[in-house]
Amino acid sequence: MNIRAPLPDGPDDAWVEQRRVRLLQQISELGGTILPAGEPAAKHGYRFDAAGPDVDGDLVALAKLNYLETRFFDRVRLCPRCDGHHLNVREVCPTCHSAYLTSEGLFHHFRCGYVGLPSEFLPEPDGGVRCPKCNKGMHHLGTEYDRLGKAFACHSCAVVSENPPVEAVCLGCGARMPAGDTVSANVFSYLLTSRGAEALRSGRLLEAEEQPVLAGDAGVFRREMILEFIRHQMQRQQQLGEPFSLLLATWLDGDGAAADQRGAWLDRVRRCLRSVDLVGQLGDRLYVVTLARAKGREAEALRRRIEKELGPTSPLSLSACEIKGEKDLAVALAAVLPSQEN
Amino acid sequence: MESTAPSWMMVTWFAVVSLTIIVCLAYLARPALVRPPPKLRPNQAQPMISVVIAGRNESATIGHCIQAALRCGYSNLEVIFVDDNSSDDSVAIARRAALAVTGSRYDTNRLRIIPSPRRNGKASSLNVGIRMARGEFIVIHDADSKIQYGIMPHWLLPFEDPQVGGVVASIRVDNSTANLLTRLQELEYALKFNFGRFIQAKLGIMPIITGMGGIFRGEVLRRLGGFDSGLGDDSDLSTMLLKQRFKLTFSHDAVVWTTVPETRAHLWSQRMRWRRNCVKIRVSKHRDMFLLGRYGFARAIITIGLVLKILPPIAFVIAILWTTFVTGLLSYPEVVTSLYWIVVPLVFVRLLVIREISNTPKWINFPLVFIFPFYTLWLLLPAVYAEWAELLRIGSKHPYVPDHVWEEIPWW
Repeated sequence: MNIRAPLPDGPDDAWVEQRRVRLLQQISELGGTILPAGEPAAKHGYRFDAAGPDVDGDLVALAKLNYLETRFFDRVRLCPRCDGHHLNVREVCPTCHSAYLTSEGLFHHFRCGYVGLPSEFLPEPDGGVRCPKCNKGMHHLGTEYDRLGKAFACHSCAVVSENPPVEAVCLGCGARMPAGDTVSANVFSYLLTSRGAEALRSGRLLEAEEQPVLAGDAGVFRREMILEFIRHQMQRQQQLGEPFSLLLATWLDGDGAAADQRGAWLDRVRRCLRSVDLVGQLGDRLYVVTLARAKGREAEALRRRIEKELGPTSPLSLSACEIKGEKDLAVALAAVLPSQEN
Repeated sequence: MESTAPSWMMVTWFAVVSLTIIVCLAYLARPALVRPPPKLRPNQAQPMISVVIAGRNESATIGHCIQAALRCGYSNLEVIFVDDNSSDDSVAIARRAALAVTGSRYDTNRLRIIPSPRRNGKASSLNVGIRMARGEFIVIHDADSKIQYGIMPHWLLPFEDPQVGGVVASIRVDNSTANLLTRLQELEYALKFNFGRFIQAKLGIMPIITGMGGIFRGEVLRRLGGFDSGLGDDSDLSTMLLKQRFKLTFSHDAVVWTTVPETRAHLWSQRMRWRRNCVKIRVSKHRDMFLLGRYGFARAIITIGLVLKILPPIAFVIAILWTTFVTGLLSYPEVVTSLYWIVVPLVFVRLLVIREISNTPKWINFPLVFIFPFYTLWLLLPAVYAEWAELLRIGSKHPYVPDHVWEEIPWW
């Protein structure tokens, strides 16, 4: 695969998947690790040496799906308003907020106790200075006079401060804020995981089959996944004797309701279920709920409770049955969709 | 035996009692004569005030001190704390107090904390604060004192007179109920720092702006270059102000609470330091103040009055001897008794007056007026020792001045 070749147009799911697989391929060619490199023009000051329209977003998405592993690389401070990293951080005057400060060590004359900026002491021809208060010469640092540490003198309003506040100015949007109010963001490097390598070998991401198909309070699994769960439950039933039931829900509206309407009804169903009960979609209008460790009468009681919860306007037709073998499963599916679903 | 206190004692007694009663009656009849109401100012007219605090190892009190200053109800105010190289966690506590009030660990418009990398002495630390202060008026404040809420308009009121260079606040004892010693000190502070200063201010002979509650014109402090090293900070600066022809005055509505010593050793150490400073400054450094024509009659009176503090013990002994000589040997106890019964009512009347005006001391401490004369005599012991030690230059190093500074300063 030519990873540098431009991707086809159209940001659909297949296109995104193809783009991400190509990114995994690039990381593999880089030795399995992709490191950020400093780039002032980049939004956060770092960029990754990989081709693609949204490399940063794809890396985060792939790391979230465990195709990549994150390693801490650096932390950057960002403007809370524009999210840019072009910040000018410096001390400012606590009074007038001017950045026109110079750092000077105050002089302290022991003899008279006068304290002032070095510029206030008149220079002597022999290299010393003269105190403006008592007019005595000061020649020996440490015995006649001393420096009282660093102080910041403001050239705008003449205020002297020892510990001035630190302010950040965003060069991108012009926002001014205390340095502590800037937001921080971690920059990571990414390592290819075994799962990422497997996806690379198969040429596609594994999530296409695993991820839920319907957004809502609870996800609804695809046909392949829910059938895998049902097979798993049947194995447990045969090996351990655990009871296992199914609740089948058929959508009655012929044209098919919108996805969000179905999601709302399924959410109401979901509220009557346990956390271990899984909802899956077997066909266009057929949904199934796996009820682990539930006998037939318990599944039937659940069905009645759900029907009561959904009310008379419910678009779902519910049926419950206990599964004791392949035959029971086939009979149950045939009852709800005799023509096409099984 | 007939006897009695000498007539000059009775005359003095009547004079002082009459004066106090007159003050009391004047206050009752016309309170505004004693306590003028503060003038209302628009917010824009609030002059900026800088509160300069210098301290070393003041972790026990600095947090409350800073918070009280920042929360005194005056908006145009900044606090500058100069830490004189403390070995305790004064700076950390000060920053914590700052965080609680200003919400920032850094210097802000209202608070700056300046830790010194080397010990420089209190006078130099105050000079650092004065150098960094930007207020039109500067409050010199002790780390063990607290500014009462709402006093700033009263404190600023005397500055309506351009001749006023400094105003001292009414000093109250914060820990007056800790033990007998602090209760007696509350009586003493009420007499000296309230009643006495009130009278002195009215007569224009206020001698000192104390370090625990004084406010100055910032321009004047900067022009003077701040405090001189190696001397008592407050009395030296006050004298310099007097020499500059500025008036010092008193505001008894400006209340500053201070923590007084709770042990005998601490109290004696404090009084010896005060008395040494008094001698060093009045007798040595500023002895030209004795010249009546140089700085004015009132200022000479101030200096003479302070120097006369050295004489009371001697005068007391002479008075006893003279009375004994005149009235006979056996009259000695009667003289002492007579003096006692003159002093006690005198103190009592003065306390009643100042209680009426300044709400101090507490009523519960009034019975201690009977032992107050003995407390005063007891305090004369360290005072007399300190005076003669200073006059004879015995152990004269100031405890607040580090060695490297002490070696450089002039020998006053």
